[in-house]
Amino acid sequence: MKRALAISRHELVSLRREKLPQVLLMVFILMVSVSGLIGWLTNTTVSSVWTEATQTGLTQAPNPFENVSPLYYSRNTVIYLVLIGALMAIVVGVTSTMRDRKARTIDLVLSRPISVVEYLLGKTIGVAIFLAAALVATGLISWVSISFIVGKPLGFQDTARLMGFFGIALIFLMAFVLLGMISGVYASRETTALLIPISLWSITAFVLPQIGTSANPVSLLNPVPKVSVPGGAFDALNTILGPLSVTEQFKGASGWLLSNPEATGDFTTSIFVVVIAASLGMLTLLLTRRDRIRGALND
Amino acid sequence: MSEYAIQASGLSKRYGINTALLDLNLEISSGEVFGLLGHNGAGKTTTVNLLTTLLEPTAGQVVINGINAAEYPNEVRRVIGYLPENVQFYDNLTTMENLRFFARLSGLTKPDIRIREVLEYLDFNDHDHERVGSFSKGMRQRVGIAQAILHAPSVLFLDEPTSGLDPEGVHQLRDVIVRLNQELSMSVFMNTHLLSEVTKTCTSIGILRKGELAYHDSLTATLEAFPREESLESIYLQIESAGIR
Repeated sequence: MKRALAISRHELVSLRREKLPQVLLMVFILMVSVSGLIGWLTNTTVSSVWTEATQTGLTQAPNPFENVSPLYYSRNTVIYLVLIGALMAIVVGVTSTMRDRKARTIDLVLSRPISVVEYLLGKTIGVAIFLAAALVATGLISWVSISFIVGKPLGFQDTARLMGFFGIALIFLMAFVLLGMISGVYASRETTALLIPISLWSITAFVLPQIGTSANPVSLLNPVPKVSVPGGAFDALNTILGPLSVTEQFKGASGWLLSNPEATGDFTTSIFVVVIAASLGMLTLLLTRRDRIRGALND
Repeated sequence: MSEYAIQASGLSKRYGINTALLDLNLEISSGEVFGLLGHNGAGKTTTVNLLTTLLEPTAGQVVINGINAAEYPNEVRRVIGYLPENVQFYDNLTTMENLRFFARLSGLTKPDIRIREVLEYLDFNDHDHERVGSFSKGMRQRVGIAQAILHAPSVLFLDEPTSGLDPEGVHQLRDVIVRLNQELSMSVFMNTHLLSEVTKTCTSIGILRKGELAYHDSLTATLEAFPREESLESIYLQIESAGIR
């Protein structure tokens, strides 16, 4: 375990020095910060229009934001996690296992008394700490911006839900980190190592959720529930393929945690699918053979 | 300490239909500096990779310092130091950061004191906070030696240690190898095709030809066995062409 921790420490030092993961992290944090701003602007604009409309007698409907949970303002974060977060996770994962193969430092590492499991576990822990730190930062930004929008600090229950959401987000991102790490171990070229998990991500995020539904790619970029097409074949396809879309399952679980009234699906099933995806990734990675890690690149 | 630093018996490595190493039987006593000679592609690097447990043999066994590598690979890794050909490091990390990482992997809990000792021994302590990416080949090789001896191994494996070095770098490295052997009692296994290097540093030599050990004896015995040859180079060429064992 001591050696796995040495690998984790090294992973963190390396991630701090590499530009691409840093840039993606900055973009991600920026987008989450903007998400709060978008929420605040939406609230302000809609409320001012509603005030104007009620004053002129155009409507007597209640303010659409009146009974909305404060966590509603964080719902765009879900999409940023599915898009930028997952991509960042893939890049970080690929970089992590490619680093030693690319730099040809792997022989120096493996000439030490360390097992493959310790080596890969250490890398996974290092990346998990990196992403956890990023999520803590984005969680704090979300908490502060929501509190600012609603004009008072978030209550205990909402804070707990927000923490739960970022906890699930970490597991969700780790599923993509592990996908990237596996690709980084097995691919013979760096570009292939990136391309394969990105293709799988786009299938998961855009193709699978569309099959058997009326959803189109643009609607999948929005935090709205997809509508199933009624009918035997479509319904059956959606039932079979739906659970395979980890991104949709994450959106479902997040919707429940963020008190989104439009959230669909079963919370337990969604969490289960996300956890299973990450666990399968971990298991596959840890089954990697020693000679595979030493594989030279054709770049 | 075991009588033999390295013992290989019936050691073979095949890649599909290609045989990289065939039935290597070799015993190197503790305290020796052994030079393995051979043309490019003769199987020298495969031999080092098998002896350092980086590769698993197709057949045969390796015993390092009395420890069976197949049964206790991590125990073997504890007692060996390894410098690969064209050693590479994490370029965006400093000498200290690179060495700290390898020291921790070797089980050193407070590595900084040991790293400073080793860098001082190698006369390289002025570069501890510089990034390795900016180093010349000779400087990298010094860091390479440092990472290999951090955990005070008893057997040191060097794969073409002077490859790509300028004459001064070759001289300095040769001096380091001799000092490690004489002052720190490290047994050294060195792959090389530089015969001048062998004459000045090795106590015994082996010649590998097309994956098979064609010759193995002490350097003194070798020079005595070929009294009419002027240099090790001509002896090497004669052994290579005649296939003497």
